[in-house]
Amino acid sequence: MVGALAVLAVVLILWQILPGALNVPRYVIPPLSEVLVALTDPVAFPRYVQNAAATMTEVGLGLLIGVVLGLALAITLTQLPRVYGIVFPYIVAIESIPKVAIAPLFVIWFGFGLPSKVVVVVLLAFFPVLVNTIHGLRNVDRDLINLFRVNGASRMQIQVRLMIPAAMPQIFSGLELAVANAMIGAIVAEFVGAQQGLGVLILQAQGRMETPAVFALLIILSALGIFLNLFVRLARKWIITWERT
Amino acid sequence: MSALVELSGLEKTYATRTGDVHALSAVDLDISKGEFVAIVGPSGCGKTTLLKILAGLEDHTAGTASIGGHPIRTGNGDVGMVFQKATLLPWQDIAANVLLPLSLRRRPTSQDREKAAALLRMTDLEGFARKRPHELSGGMQQRAAICRALVHKPSLLLMDEPFGALDAMTRDSLNVEVNRIWRETGTTAVLITHSISEAVFLAERIFVMSARPGRIVDEITVPFDRERSLDLLGDPEFAALTSRIRTHFEVTHA
Repeated sequence: MVGALAVLAVVLILWQILPGALNVPRYVIPPLSEVLVALTDPVAFPRYVQNAAATMTEVGLGLLIGVVLGLALAITLTQLPRVYGIVFPYIVAIESIPKVAIAPLFVIWFGFGLPSKVVVVVLLAFFPVLVNTIHGLRNVDRDLINLFRVNGASRMQIQVRLMIPAAMPQIFSGLELAVANAMIGAIVAEFVGAQQGLGVLILQAQGRMETPAVFALLIILSALGIFLNLFVRLARKWIITWERT
Repeated sequence: MSALVELSGLEKTYATRTGDVHALSAVDLDISKGEFVAIVGPSGCGKTTLLKILAGLEDHTAGTASIGGHPIRTGNGDVGMVFQKATLLPWQDIAANVLLPLSLRRRPTSQDREKAAALLRMTDLEGFARKRPHELSGGMQQRAAICRALVHKPSLLLMDEPFGALDAMTRDSLNVEVNRIWRETGTTAVLITHSISEAVFLAERIFVMSARPGRIVDEITVPFDRERSLDLLGDPEFAALTSRIRTHFEVTHA
């Protein structure tokens, strides 16, 4: 931890010193101090907060829908081996498509507002949860399932008391990927066409060649991403108490 | 003594992509109440299939199989199972794991909890009721699994290579423990193993199976007392019995 923080300190100091020392133009890489000025600008800051809230609404709604759909479909598919056999090749195929490429189509279909962004986030959050949950559910120890059956467990009991808890580590791996994907999805969808959001602000700042503002927005975006990831990791630690680190 | 388990003319054939596999052929087997029976055989002789049929996890193709005079039915709560791995639920403590067969049927009562505590006492796990499985050694986990298999007082205790994953010394001490548990609880036990000496050490009767199709080629009554100790391993009669069983495998594999 101390080592990691030391690395961060060194990077920040170099960021402050190197651009001036190497005569890098300010519109290419501004020194850290200018980025911090842009970040804390009293006029711009409320706009940052407002647009960050818009982006996080897209991320939050999209994650919620994507994760619920991914879990539900994974549980359903693993209970229907025939359907699973038919559907799984398509899941693999769709998974390998770069899904952000579909974002422009969604803007055509769902407009420039919230829905098109949420749909992109849903699509990006859904697959890692689906694939990882299926993996987790299909790898539950056969003997454990047999133990439950010998003791007269219902299908519902096997799902709730065995399969889902046993698949928790993989479900959380899926969630971590979904969170990272959701941020990517929201920003790309905003780049493609939106009225608000951090993606829109980044494009506007770029258009005006306000590089310090672009960096300031990237810092906000990174902080939100790190916060979301941390939240999922803490939830994992809190729920999966039996996992050894 | 009345027969608790009755298998007669039992056949099992699996349909696989490469054709039918005849897993069990004409298996006749009676087990009396309170008896300890071992089934030994090489891998692929169908002994696990036989155990799964007894547990109600698999159907048989022909013949009859009954426990206590009733055809075997899945999940009637009449069998307790111990697997090669302890298969404890890692998210529950040992007490909750032991209570699982009961808690799947109803909310455990205080008598149930007392029963679980008594079993944990019997297996020297008294102080571990609140611990999670990963805090216990492999041998202790397997003892907890035996408690779980007995908590609902099943008429039949089924053990499938229960100590196969443990080291030799832990194995020996657990065998002594299983012998004691069997004597103290009076349960009827069926042990599936490929360890001949384990079978001779624990069982009153041993059925020897041969592979493809799995059938019973010998039945041996073990003449030792119910109470067994590790001294038995050096007994000449013990050696004679194990070598008698071993000849079967040499013959069937020739």
